[in-house]
Amino acid sequence: MLRNSEIHDVVWPRAARQMEIAPVAPRLETLEGKTVAQLWDFLFRGDEVFDLLEQGLKKRYPTVKFVSWKDFGSTHGADERQILADLPETMKSMGIDAVISGMGC
Amino acid sequence: MLRASAAAEKAGVPSSSLVCEGFIGQASTTSIGLGLPNLPVALVPGHVGTQSTEELNENVLGVTVDDVVRNLTEAPGEIAMVEDPEPHEVVFSGTIDEINRLFVENEWSDGLPVIPPTAQRVEAFLAFTDRDPDEVLAILLPDSRAATIWSVAVNGVMAGCRPEYMPVLIALIEAMGDPDYGVEHSGNTPGGETLITINGPVASQLRFNDEQGVLRDGFQPNTSVGRFWRLALRNLAGFLLHKNDKCTFGNTWRVVMAENEPVLDEIGWPTTAEDLGILKGKSAVSIARYTGSNLIASATGNTGEKMMPFLADAVLKQNTWQLVFTIGTSPGTLRPLLVLSPILAKTLAKDGWTKGRVKQYLYDYCRLPAWEFERYLGEWTDHPIRDLKDQVNLRRAPSEFAESDDPNRMVPITFRPDDFMVAVSGDPLRTNAITFAHNGILGYSVAREIELPSGWDDKLNMAR
Repeated sequence: MLRNSEIHDVVWPRAARQMEIAPVAPRLETLEGKTVAQLWDFLFRGDEVFDLLEQGLKKRYPTVKFVSWKDFGSTHGADERQILADLPETMKSMGIDAVISGMGC
Repeated sequence: MLRASAAAEKAGVPSSSLVCEGFIGQASTTSIGLGLPNLPVALVPGHVGTQSTEELNENVLGVTVDDVVRNLTEAPGEIAMVEDPEPHEVVFSGTIDEINRLFVENEWSDGLPVIPPTAQRVEAFLAFTDRDPDEVLAILLPDSRAATIWSVAVNGVMAGCRPEYMPVLIALIEAMGDPDYGVEHSGNTPGGETLITINGPVASQLRFNDEQGVLRDGFQPNTSVGRFWRLALRNLAGFLLHKNDKCTFGNTWRVVMAENEPVLDEIGWPTTAEDLGILKGKSAVSIARYTGSNLIASATGNTGEKMMPFLADAVLKQNTWQLVFTIGTSPGTLRPLLVLSPILAKTLAKDGWTKGRVKQYLYDYCRLPAWEFERYLGEWTDHPIRDLKDQVNLRRAPSEFAESDDPNRMVPITFRPDDFMVAVSGDPLRTNAITFAHNGILGYSVAREIELPSGWDDKLNMAR
């Protein structure tokens, strides 16, 4: 029986984190002449947002190039695991320098 | 979306993640679980779903572009990580009131009082498994935490479970870790809640309620094991409201449903566990996430032909936007659930209906015009899919979805008859049913056998 005055020694209720903390990748000096991949989860008007980003970034960096989300497939849902597992190789073969990933909404 | 960014960063490619205003907090906590606490995000002001084209242009060109450039060309600042205690560590000594205050303050409880997880109480749970307390059952996203036998016992204590429920709790965490279930999606905005179904001899041995009021709190095993599930999502996986759990509304945990196995045996229908691959006679838990339910009152009739139209109509109407899980996000993963009260199941069986025939009927009659299905996808949920026929041509849907060009042709809501789940529980003598809308790949149906410890019968008798 629990009494309010009784003292209990309680253990930590959470499970331990397992992931290794990693640094982010080195950043680019400029987007000029670079190839940027568009990764999309096929949700929340990402197609329109990527069009606008292309427009805005090309204005600042006229030689920046984009690889469309259409070339990658949806990064959410049934194909997610395979697409992400293949991503390092896919990016390498496409000469990708940077990634824009959306949409978190 | 963040998982894609993390994959790029780990491959040495800088990323920028596009995040709407209300999701910035979730992005920062999720990034920690991905091992990249300073994963850079670009703000998309407001929510794109409510913005005019002009507003979206202004927000993206005026705000998001700057953030993307910064994300890709400037190194993000370091983020200091808080050191966690060790899993077996005593973190506090105090009275029950003090402990409950501490657990609420640290987001370790659901807001209701918890039973203090002392080592002694945890040991009582561990007596009901032969497995090593430090055995890792699964690494659970979003926090990437290692759910161990020990941590299962701790949360079982807190939830108010009895020690003898431990084999059920272990099986549940194994199911939670099944990649097909997709625990990582448990903080999504629709906020679906998992329904646990228990089958096999253990259900009656542990005195789960399998009849009247089966889904209402009031029976210790059904209620406390349901509460354990949500505490485990909190403490073992890391889903916290206003952080990783972004349910728009949410609801309290679902009480565990035990199926009425004597009735299933009597009418010769397989159990839910058997439908999910568990051998007949074995004890098992099954889990699936559902976004909501609707009670179907007074399904009267003495034949299947009289009863089934009403039931199929209700199942169909419960599934609207969820059709994105049939065709869209994750083709063929919608599994609507119909729970029949025993008297309904027995009436159907008496009229010669097998469970397979019930599923076939639901497949044949839970249908809607193709144009209406397409409207849910392309217009109302903004998926980039406008034509079911395209999906068939791309082999992302079976041919039944494109049998003609007629927009009024009737199309099914699942890929296969077997995608419908049918269970039997609830008040044995009331002609009601209940149907649940499924969350597709964001909580796919999986089952796990319950492994009993050596000397189970003796231990159970002692516990009673």
